Amino acid sequence: MAEVRWLNDMNEALQRAKNEKKPVLLDFFNPG
Amino acid sequence: MGAVTYPDEKVAAFINARTVPVQMAYDAKPYADDFNIQWTPAVILLDEDGKEHFRTTGFLPPEEFIPSLLLGMLKVHFDLKQFREAIDVGDTLTKEYPKSKVVPETIFWQGVANYEDTHDPSHLKAAYKKLKAEHPSSEWAIRAEPYDLLR
Repeated sequence: MAEVRWLNDMNEALQRAKNEKKPVLLDFFNPG
Repeated sequence: MGAVTYPDEKVAAFINARTVPVQMAYDAKPYADDFNIQWTPAVILLDEDGKEHFRTTGFLPPEEFIPSLLLGMLKVHFDLKQFREAIDVGDTLTKEYPKSKVVPETIFWQGVANYEDTHDPSHLKAAYKKLKAEHPSSEWAIRAEPYDLLR
């Protein structure tokens, strides 16, 4: 089963976005 | 989203391949305030500098989530003045997800991106005619109506 490989560090995400030339998908959720 | 959409094989594969996914609780500081999060789920697309270009709030099923993200990617490219890339993403969306609810908005933005790329107003008129013919009740047909007056 595929799983989204979520990050939880914005700085790491932005660095990866620069390196990989991809947009950042930022998901805000309610953990309930 | 966490129960239905994100576990979907196609959705997960698309997200992993085409984006850098970050997940946070609705009250995570400082980002929840920075992005003015008032309701969830809220999905936002950012460029590599962290600037927001697209947002969708509320549940989307798998079959609508990927086209919604593609529209968001179109908007990222458009805002960054990468017009050819924006048009290409729109082509992918309309070919692979022709029944998606975001197709009319995609046709609108493709017309605008084509105009910005070429400065040829016929692209705006063509977008309106396509919307009028294929999606006459769409709000995007209404938004494009003035383009019919272009010569």
